[in-house]
Amino acid sequence: MAAVATCGTGVGKTGSMVMAGSKNNVTGFQRRGPRASGSDSSYSRLVSIAGTRPSVRNGQLLVSTGLPALDQLLGGGLAVGTVLLIEEDKYNIYSSLLFKYFLAEGIVNGHTLLVASAKEDPADILQELPAPLLDDNGKKDFDEDVCNHKTSESNIKMKIAWRYQLLPKMEAISSSRFGHYYDVSKKMPQELIEASKVHGFFFPEKSSSTPNIEPCSLTHGYIKLLQFIQNIIYEEGFDGSNPQKKQKNILRIGIQNLGSPLWGDDICCTENCDNSHSLTKFLYVLRGLLRTSLSACVITMPTHLIQNKAIIARVTNLSDTVVGLESFIGSERETNPLYKDYHGLIHIRQIPRLNNLIYDVSDVKDLAFKLKRKLFTIEVRENF
Amino acid sequence: VTPSEGASGGPGREWEMESVLALRGLVLLRDSVEWEGRSLLKALVKKAALGGEQVHVLGCEVSEEEFREGFDSRVNSRLVYHDLFRDPLNWSQTGEAPPGGPLGALQVTCKRAGPGPVTVALDSLSWLLLRLPCAAICQALCALGRQHARPGGGPAGEPVRVLGLLHGELHGPGPRGALSSLAQAEVTLSGTGGQASAHILCRRPRQRPSHETLCFSILPDLSLDLQGGPPLEPHPDPHRPPVDPTTHLTFNLHLSKREREAKDSLTLPFQFSSEK
Repeated sequence: MAAVATCGTGVGKTGSMVMAGSKNNVTGFQRRGPRASGSDSSYSRLVSIAGTRPSVRNGQLLVSTGLPALDQLLGGGLAVGTVLLIEEDKYNIYSSLLFKYFLAEGIVNGHTLLVASAKEDPADILQELPAPLLDDNGKKDFDEDVCNHKTSESNIKMKIAWRYQLLPKMEAISSSRFGHYYDVSKKMPQELIEASKVHGFFFPEKSSSTPNIEPCSLTHGYIKLLQFIQNIIYEEGFDGSNPQKKQKNILRIGIQNLGSPLWGDDICCTENCDNSHSLTKFLYVLRGLLRTSLSACVITMPTHLIQNKAIIARVTNLSDTVVGLESFIGSERETNPLYKDYHGLIHIRQIPRLNNLIYDVSDVKDLAFKLKRKLFTIEVRENF
Repeated sequence: VTPSEGASGGPGREWEMESVLALRGLVLLRDSVEWEGRSLLKALVKKAALGGEQVHVLGCEVSEEEFREGFDSRVNSRLVYHDLFRDPLNWSQTGEAPPGGPLGALQVTCKRAGPGPVTVALDSLSWLLLRLPCAAICQALCALGRQHARPGGGPAGEPVRVLGLLHGELHGPGPRGALSSLAQAEVTLSGTGGQASAHILCRRPRQRPSHETLCFSILPDLSLDLQGGPPLEPHPDPHRPPVDPTTHLTFNLHLSKREREAKDSLTLPFQFSSEK
């Protein structure tokens, strides 16, 4: 786990506690922190990775999911080294949007991306990413009914911040602000996509003829994907094992539609399948890979198609954070006047306990989402 | 799999059926014992053939003669028939079986077919689902639908359209759900009182899916006659009944007559009247 002081790999060797034989101390333990590394403590060394910040509660290193509202619900962000599982809604509209937010945030922060899919070519997914909002005043764009106030207020702001007009616009994106806003109606500019480093895994291209797989082992698609991820982590030095490559960047892994038949897994097709442990083994191995590297992973899974409910429970236990999306399209709730302002419900099913005894759960459980023309919002559902 | 615009060149009114006819990708035709779908499949095949597309048919359930019956010579000449009915296990030919099974062979043929839009009709997809693993079929269908988008040489053509006939009673919720998630459109056949109707669900990527119910009939020469509009006795759509939010409440919002009388006759406190 890439925690603040106990991570031995990748971030530098800063052991936090050493036995000191000094007689002056009350206890035998002495924190080897500020004295050893000079003025900079390990705290600021971690903050120096772009797009991350330590959690205010326990110092856990966090990255943004791309949606500041979701970051708040998850306790500040997605912890580095963990998996966020998004349970897809029935028609896979909103879950793919959250997936794209995650990737777009990676591009804006300059993180390395790894995109894996069995349905769409990763290059096509990248073309569909939402465009980031450049100004820091970007939030004002969403108040479509505040136009009158907007002009006068923005004029005042311009007067105060006149120096910043001279700075090039790109600097506003790479500001140290954690979490950016995106405009869903526009696409990410091509220069940003080309400037970023993306590794794509498109399963139909990578799979050769299907070999004979003995039972109780991983499905062919999962084996290939794990090998690919492991190669990237090792070669690019995200796990710190390569002393030549001092990687100070985060690897964002996005896996789309995991568990669908296109990966070769038949948990969505039958209830009693031969390789029912394939997906759970994959998640277990993936979590091991993530914990020992500077990476964060978002997986979308069509759990509404999985026939065996026990598998869903196992998958939930094996993931760190689980968020479920339930859209109202095609359900009886679409015509229910209680839900007319929203497009669906969002369920925070699980939050991890990382270096903690208690959960970081927000008090509110009744959350609904709405996709406006430009923005995806999550709100507390107001009862009547 | 990218959907194309509804460039069907038909008359002005835009029905979902017209856009289904123009849609590329996987189109599922779900029929049942009461309302058979093979005639609708043949009508769509005829429309595609007359529209100048290359049509490949994988016939598994009926013989070739029976399938070609009802088509005129123009359509029959454009139809490329792959017969699996006569010899499904390939016993008569001593050569090696093509890898990937029948769908793999079909994919190879489509790749060699050359430019131009291609339609593949599977009669039936149920037959394949019962004999091949579901995951393999899903992968093959996606591969079929995708290949024309990136051909070996020449300009990128339109994706292949795959029409699959699926018999509703033969499969459990698993394969049906898996295939639904892959399909661009699903046409469910039902009907009331002799009039066939089709409930069409179009899933466009990144957009909300749309429903429509149409009445139709197949004329003897296998052309499609759309009568439009819902069937005469509309059965309540299971997806959208109007929901009353005051049902299933644990508290009572309404007062009965006796309760209302009791409430009206109640004397309020701090009201000083002659009685007190």
